[in-house]
Amino acid sequence: MAAIELEGLTKRFGDVVAVDGLDLTIREGEIFGFLGPNGAGKSTTIDVLLDFIRPTAGTATVLGHDAQEAGQLVRSRTGVLPDGYHVYDRLTGRQHVEFAIEMKGASEDPDALLERVRIADAADRRAGGYSKGMRQRLVLAMALVGDPDLLVLDEPSTGLDPNGAREMREIIREENDRGTTVFFSSHIMEQVEAVCDRVAIINRGQLVAVDTIDGLRDATETGETLYVYVTDLDERVLEQVRNLDGIGSAAIDDGRLRVSIDGVSKFAALHAIDRVASVQDFSVVESSLEDLFVRYTNDTQEVEA
Amino acid sequence: MTWLTVAKKDFRDAVQSRALWALVAVFVVLSLVSTYAYVEVPEMFGSPAGATFGGLLFFTIGLVGLFVPIAAIVVCYKSLAGERELGSIKLLLSLPTTRGQVFAGKVLGRAAVLAFGLGVGLVVGLGFGAALLGEFEGVAVLVFVLATLSFAAVYATIVVSISATTGSTSRATTLALGFFVVFELLWDVVPMGVLYVVEGFSFPATIPDWVFTVTQLSPSSAYFSTIVALLPDLAETVGADPAQAGAGVEVTAADAEPFYASPEIGLVVLLLWLVVPLAIGYYRFDSSDL
Repeated sequence: MAAIELEGLTKRFGDVVAVDGLDLTIREGEIFGFLGPNGAGKSTTIDVLLDFIRPTAGTATVLGHDAQEAGQLVRSRTGVLPDGYHVYDRLTGRQHVEFAIEMKGASEDPDALLERVRIADAADRRAGGYSKGMRQRLVLAMALVGDPDLLVLDEPSTGLDPNGAREMREIIREENDRGTTVFFSSHIMEQVEAVCDRVAIINRGQLVAVDTIDGLRDATETGETLYVYVTDLDERVLEQVRNLDGIGSAAIDDGRLRVSIDGVSKFAALHAIDRVASVQDFSVVESSLEDLFVRYTNDTQEVEA
Repeated sequence: MTWLTVAKKDFRDAVQSRALWALVAVFVVLSLVSTYAYVEVPEMFGSPAGATFGGLLFFTIGLVGLFVPIAAIVVCYKSLAGERELGSIKLLLSLPTTRGQVFAGKVLGRAAVLAFGLGVGLVVGLGFGAALLGEFEGVAVLVFVLATLSFAAVYATIVVSISATTGSTSRATTLALGFFVVFELLWDVVPMGVLYVVEGFSFPATIPDWVFTVTQLSPSSAYFSTIVALLPDLAETVGADPAQAGAGVEVTAADAEPFYASPEIGLVVLLLWLVVPLAIGYYRFDSSDL
């Protein structure tokens, strides 16, 4: 059974299409990253999963149940760290966790949970005085109540320092090791890369890619990129370089040649380029997924524009 | 049963509101001062025969009729609209509950907060009055307090329901204040205005019964009539007349015959003010995108 299954999910706000015909399956037991720039439709999708908003068309099935028809059942097995939430300023951290425990009918020790997210020393302070990072930890503790089968985390590392983000990833892995499916959104590739089994990239309400991290790397030509400074760079030189054997693509970028290599050594490629126009200097960049992400989201925009 | 948990959490949260306690303090002071004034110069407050404990009860109705609507607005206007505006509703609805349970929990929690604040004021005010007068009527007080707490619960329902219809606190404020102005401050004028128009822009010699019924549509008028209906003997002895009732209360036909013109109509109206806002508020809250 799939942990989350979206079929033709569409949400319009007036004239704005926030999510446009999304089809997506998240398997049980995986850590799934939902990636996209701000405003791409990530939170809207998550809000539908939690029944904060109702889809215009299509369905969302979570843990085998319709998210709209059986929301309470879905949420009884799901831990949530929502986006744009606000804590109850006048209640303490412990009171928040106690409330979640009572609502879920669980029987955990609130202090142990607060210890786990490392805010046990602030348990008796009012949450209104917490920093953004502490609030994020508090709500994570509430999400962990009742050992959920699914964790839905909307931008979990918001407000966390690098250490906090690492601790968040550790908790995600620990939960996953216990069999929990994790679905989390982010606009930062780096965080997704570090922990996810599979990734979906969403842009302007539409899916542009769903794959493993390695699969995403392979699917595009972004293996290694050479930046080459040559004398007298012009369109004629570019054309000649493009026709060389073993050159995947070539372009002029900021006064340099940007060349991706396809099946030959870097040395062979440089040597070949040197015969067209003499090479003065070069650098090699192994492209990160960040580049990939930027490319995916920008390409679609150009196509749509 | 999550509604009970929501109500408990909400009570815990709202009872820490400074505005609520400022209001309770004002109510306590007002009820002490007015109780003292009533006991000292009863003829000014509709008891020419002298101060009695029953008279004090009916005198207190006027104060409650003004305090409860204002306190309900202060305590309840943000109950749901505020959570939606801030986003704490997302924390609440991420938990395994339903919007219906959250709505019910909010109504219950805020009604309890209001009843608690009101209860403190009533105990102090009536206790002080009983001490000054040297008399106390247990059954009447019990009926009076129960009716008054029910009235507070009805008002909490109305304002929470108003709050449930919108995700903006400024809109909730406008709607709640609008409700107060129309149904509490201006309601005396409305039936008379309707009568004036119906009768061809003049006032008839006798006021028909239905005018009384329309007057009763104001929650605090209905509350006053309810007490008259529940404590008829006491109402008769103190000659419960409109002048004591304060804001928006005008009972013109306490002994009129047809049911729609008898004080019992107040009970029906209060019940309607409980059911209708609940239905509208739930429908709007359940169907909206948060």
